[in-house]
Amino acid sequence: MNKYWAIFKTQLLNRLTYPADLLGHGVTIVIYLWVFIFLWRTTYRVMGASEGSIAGLTLNQTIWYLMLAETLMLSKPRLSRLISAAVKDGSVAYMLNKPYNFLLYHFSMGLGDSLTNMIFNLLAGGALVWLMQSPPPPAWGWPLVLLTMILAWMIDFCFAAIIGLAAFVAEEVNAFDWIYQKLLFILGGMLIPLDFFPDWLRSISKASPFAYMIFGPARLFVEPSLERFVTLLIGQIIWLSGLGAIVTVSYRRGLRWLAINGG
Amino acid sequence: MRRELIFLLALWKANLIAAMEYRASFLTQVIGMILNDGFYFVFWIIFFDRFQQIQGWKLNDMFLLFGLVAAGFGIAVYFFGNTWQLVDVIINGQLDYYLSLPRPVLLHVLASRSISSGLGDAIYGFMSFFLAQQLTLDAFGRFILGIFFSATILISFLVLVQCLAFWIGNAQLLTSNALYAVITFSSYPITLFDGTARFLLLTILPAGLIGAIPAELVRSFSWSRLLQLCGATMIFLSLSVFLFYRGLRRYESGSAIQTQV
Repeated sequence: MNKYWAIFKTQLLNRLTYPADLLGHGVTIVIYLWVFIFLWRTTYRVMGASEGSIAGLTLNQTIWYLMLAETLMLSKPRLSRLISAAVKDGSVAYMLNKPYNFLLYHFSMGLGDSLTNMIFNLLAGGALVWLMQSPPPPAWGWPLVLLTMILAWMIDFCFAAIIGLAAFVAEEVNAFDWIYQKLLFILGGMLIPLDFFPDWLRSISKASPFAYMIFGPARLFVEPSLERFVTLLIGQIIWLSGLGAIVTVSYRRGLRWLAINGG
Repeated sequence: MRRELIFLLALWKANLIAAMEYRASFLTQVIGMILNDGFYFVFWIIFFDRFQQIQGWKLNDMFLLFGLVAAGFGIAVYFFGNTWQLVDVIINGQLDYYLSLPRPVLLHVLASRSISSGLGDAIYGFMSFFLAQQLTLDAFGRFILGIFFSATILISFLVLVQCLAFWIGNAQLLTSNALYAVITFSSYPITLFDGTARFLLLTILPAGLIGAIPAELVRSFSWSRLLQLCGATMIFLSLSVFLFYRGLRRYESGSAIQTQV
């Protein structure tokens, strides 16, 4: 484990060496949240619910929900692209014969990347929403949210690894990645809370793993409760176990398929 | 002018031939992008299913706006793919290659790369237009005109931002944020924004000129809107060309030997 801890720390320090890059991430989340604040303020006003709620969410809750959803989405690295690029340029050959597990190496690297991105995104996004909208939700729920955010990140890692490993066979995986991102946008509830969905679509979305990656932690953040936390945690663990098994099998099979073109 | 047009056609042909070398990848990217855009638009379908209309905007208006932005973006990406990497070309000293050839440098740089997924955006844009229920020949003509304005202003704006690399060096971060901002803001109804925000979106960050204003022109023609778009396009295009050639005087390279494949 020491070597993966070292990889994680190295990547963390590497990211902190370029604070301008991290600030850039902060600007990106501010842009998105600024648009969302305008959109949802107008929507609540038009619906006559500026002081009330729509589908159980007040305007403040909706904006803070979107802040956390955006943070989760914008903080994760595009791991599938990294793996695909390594396959295409042949550098995967050098990574596979190193004394570490290829997937755990990317896991440690990705975690280092995400952690730094997440801190800056939370600071920038949180500051904007606090200034423009309202104070944050109750602080007692934050540790619970943090735990579910970590599990959400791990589920995302599994999906990204499955898509990235598809490059062992298909080489070009951009299209799969785009579609995965959009599934997170919609079924995950990144652009709009699932509470606003029509009933039939809400049921489908809530049963999908994507809801456990974005909607679950973001909803827990704005309305923390132990019951909500436990339900979310169990769902996340189930999905993580299933997807983890698929990643392991895909990796073993992918190695047999792999054709190295250069490097 | 005719020479430049022939040159452009030759570049586009070469880009297409290069893409056809990897047909499966080309098709995957085009079809993938159509699906990608379609999935994204589900957000607006859900939104308007719940809220019906916002400040006079309905689902059909969003089909039109989104179609126009997607098609404008797609055509810009497909035919002038280096617009998205101009800053890298400048800071990595890769302009040497273009400077050594007897062709307009900016045009040559921008059109010498094509991003296949742009074709998917463009196709989706037209599909979205047909779903917007504006099916008249007149509206279709205005849609094509709107795409031209949208793509030209988008390219000009991104060139302007990336030209700052001649003065400040690494402008990659600025470029990526400018791109995120202009694409994000252009695909939302402009009626959401008021006062200063709206002024900014029609000037410094011309998202309104890339999305909402051309969409309004498609929805209902007016000479004043057409003149507004013509004027804005001329200003942004002239400024971008002027700033690029002005910046070129400050260009320094490491005399790296490069081969254009």
